Amino acid sequence: MLISLPVLFLVLAALALLILRLFRPNFKYPWVVALSGAILAFAGVMLWQVRFPASASLPAWQPLSVFNYIPTWLADGVSWPYALSLTTLAAAIILTSVVRNENAPMPWAGTLLLTALGILAVSAGDPLTLILAWTAIDLAELITMLRSTEGESQNRAVVVAFAIRLVGTGFVIWASAVSSAAHLPMNFDRITSNAGIYLLFASGLRLGVLPLHLPYRKENVLRRGFGTSLRLVSAAASLSVLARIPAGTLDSPWTPFLLALTALPAIYAGWMWLRASDEILGRPFWVLGMAALAVASTLRASPEGSIGWGVALILCGGLVFLYSARQRSILWLPLLGLWGISALPFSPSAAAWTTGNGASWFFLLPFLPAQALLIAGFVRHALHPGETSLESQERWARILYPAGLFLLAASSVLLGLWGWDGSRTFGVWWAAIPVALLAGGAVILALKVLARTQSAISQWGDVLRLDPFYKFLNSIVRFLEGLARFVTTTLEGEGGIFWSILLLVLILSLLSAGGG
Amino acid sequence: MSAPALWIFFPIALGGLLSLLRNQKLITLVAGIVCAFLAITALLLPIDTPLAVQALTFKLAPSFELLGRRLTLTNSDRAWLALLYGGSAFWFMAASSIKIARRLIPFGMAITGFLVAALAVEPFLYAALLIETAVLLAIPLLSPPDKKPGKGILRFLIYQTIAMPFILFSGWLLAGIEANPGDLMLVARSATLLGLGFALLLAVFPFYTWIPLLTEEAHPYVAGFILWIFPTVTMFFGLGFLDRYAWLRDAAVLPSILTTVGVLMIFTGGLLAFFQRHLGRMMGYAVIAETGFSLLGLGLGGSYGLNTFLLLCIPRVIGLALWSLALSNLLEHAPSLTLDNLKGAGRIWSFSSTGAILASLSLAGAPMLASFPAHQAIWDGLARQSLAATTWVFLGSLGLAISAIRVLTALASAPEGSPWGVRETWSQRVFLLIGWLLLFLLGILPSWAASFWARLPSLFEHLGQ
Repeated sequence: MLISLPVLFLVLAALALLILRLFRPNFKYPWVVALSGAILAFAGVMLWQVRFPASASLPAWQPLSVFNYIPTWLADGVSWPYALSLTTLAAAIILTSVVRNENAPMPWAGTLLLTALGILAVSAGDPLTLILAWTAIDLAELITMLRSTEGESQNRAVVVAFAIRLVGTGFVIWASAVSSAAHLPMNFDRITSNAGIYLLFASGLRLGVLPLHLPYRKENVLRRGFGTSLRLVSAAASLSVLARIPAGTLDSPWTPFLLALTALPAIYAGWMWLRASDEILGRPFWVLGMAALAVASTLRASPEGSIGWGVALILCGGLVFLYSARQRSILWLPLLGLWGISALPFSPSAAAWTTGNGASWFFLLPFLPAQALLIAGFVRHALHPGETSLESQERWARILYPAGLFLLAASSVLLGLWGWDGSRTFGVWWAAIPVALLAGGAVILALKVLARTQSAISQWGDVLRLDPFYKFLNSIVRFLEGLARFVTTTLEGEGGIFWSILLLVLILSLLSAGGG
Repeated sequence: MSAPALWIFFPIALGGLLSLLRNQKLITLVAGIVCAFLAITALLLPIDTPLAVQALTFKLAPSFELLGRRLTLTNSDRAWLALLYGGSAFWFMAASSIKIARRLIPFGMAITGFLVAALAVEPFLYAALLIETAVLLAIPLLSPPDKKPGKGILRFLIYQTIAMPFILFSGWLLAGIEANPGDLMLVARSATLLGLGFALLLAVFPFYTWIPLLTEEAHPYVAGFILWIFPTVTMFFGLGFLDRYAWLRDAAVLPSILTTVGVLMIFTGGLLAFFQRHLGRMMGYAVIAETGFSLLGLGLGGSYGLNTFLLLCIPRVIGLALWSLALSNLLEHAPSLTLDNLKGAGRIWSFSSTGAILASLSLAGAPMLASFPAHQAIWDGLARQSLAATTWVFLGSLGLAISAIRVLTALASAPEGSPWGVRETWSQRVFLLIGWLLLFLLGILPSWAASFWARLPSLFEHLGQ
């Protein structure tokens, strides 16, 4: 029951906003309704700790002779930090909306509903529940993006993003089939050694890490509030599964290769995030970079590390994306967010560099500069002048807005100390030293050099574009399309009936020869 | 009153009467109400059991004799009767919204009646003749008198007609087997002829080429109806054989044949759907793959196989009806249903476009949509037997999903500044919306579909035990 409480609060608040919008469009306090829903959901997630761990289930799918499936949600060490981060983000989005031009209640309702779906995804207790939650989020994103984008290429990018996520979901279904082949219905408690890698691919593909791809290169449609929610909830839903993959299932000769493949998006995204002209335009790279670090943690058999990066992605990302009205006196708030991604002892990412399998330290090295670039980008974007000045806001807004940002920073600190099994740890603290030095250097470079040489390095963004690869794929598809057209034209042509009979005779003779 | 009179003669006669009417809405209303009534009666009314309603007592007799042949409907037939008439009600009610009621409903009612008769007739070999009658009735429905019949319609007629002698011959041989069960040669010949007959009736690989041709040239709604009712009835007809003949049901080779054919149909259907540029043809290939899934489900054997087969029935009718309705609406906007002609149509035909996408994704087995639970069960069941076969099936499903994504890309590719709008009429919107909701409902709570089958008497005496 406690598990469903936050989802219930969020959905009820969203429905209330919808009903008010339809029947009392002049209602003056939709913001209060939205905030109440978010705060109650936050409290609801906190209440999970009363009975921990716990699970909740819906009735089993019928008939039982066919389905071995009971939709289940878990409140445990994996889902709790993610759920807390998501509700914190929702509350922060609504609190900080006072300084933005976002007074329409519908984006708040959207944020609340998305957060509810996000909680259902991160707390999914089995792959099928996860699949359903993922699909709901994907459909929500597809509809939102198609409604808000203009132009053929932008719309195509939206559909491509949806298609890639669908393929990612397909990997989970395939993992389930692989488990079934071993006569072991898939459950997060027992994942066969073959299925684990497919779950990793599912998550990696949805996040754009494995293989590197970035459908939304231009983040100019959905800005701070709802846009941040959409991007981060979607990422959190894909990240949570990483912590549920047993370390042993990924111990294969392919692991070093996959680590190397993951390092590429990590460094690329870090660099692009650093050089993005503002944090919103850099948002896809932040998500990609942090997600790559989380995937790398999983590959190094450190689920705690992946949770750390996942939580930091949401909370620290939320902090910098929502920091639109700026003032020197509150600069400490976003900079407090640095704690979350520092990998220093007792920070959420403290366990980031621990390694639970035999992966060599050598494979850690490419990820350190990636982390440094992400930190440097974070500092650079936090130091920008921003969209508005906080001083120009109403007095109450000057209290609520920093409160929203503080909530994110405070949750980040809290989760480092009291988050999940494996948090509150020293971790590999010395790795933070070279990272800090590198990040410092990158910040200086960014602030002094980058602004002057933007045009010269703008081509860097195109270096890793996969256009030639897609062109190659396209030519293969065209060839196969020609082949398919030849076959269908032959079978549907004048002699089609005879071709069909001939084909049947051929198949029957082949089968009888095989049988004989 | 007899059950055949209610579920066979009455709809056929009503079809004849409705052909005399001109008012689309009246035809739709009468046919919709009658089909819904027949479905509800099948659900609630036991056959051959005396029923007392206050002072009145009556009993639905199970049999009716006609020219020495018997039409028999028993309690075990009520489930498929409810499915066929419930499905027909679903199809007929939306027909007037696209102004096709006058053409579809009279013939549709008669076709349904004849196909029910085919499942009820004894000796069963007369079923072939009744199916052929239904096929002949489908021709004027598919090809209006002012239009020259296309290649797909002719092929449909040819393949279904070739099937008839195979079924008749096998029926004759089966009578011989009953008299002399030890004659293995006779058994093999009979099984081969029966298999060929069903392969032609069901449009099994490689005899399915007429389906994409038909969906390309005929009205999408009519084609959808035909592609729903004929394979569904043929499947139940085939299951009747399996239930009746132990030697056929217990044949060691049967599961592997069903599985191989099913995998072939899913893979080739999905692969060819991937390369299509015509939405009607894509629907045709999805139907082929869907028949493959049904065969594959049956190939899994036992109660698991039968249950997965039954689970597919309701999502299929909803998915196909929604897809056909959506395509019929889109056809009003564009000269043809090619991807190029429908570029950006999603902005102004948003209900139909969403319907087409959801239906195609559902038939591809996408999560949250009606066909997903049954497909998931089939993937899992098949994986337990052969992971290699599952790979082929998965690739086929992927092909179907990609074809749906291609449609989505085309429908969403509106030039910058294109306005949003809703061109569908209110009635079209309502039917499309009902279709969307049912797809989601059955995708998330498949137990509702399962309860339909569980509540009714067992369909088969031996099959699935």
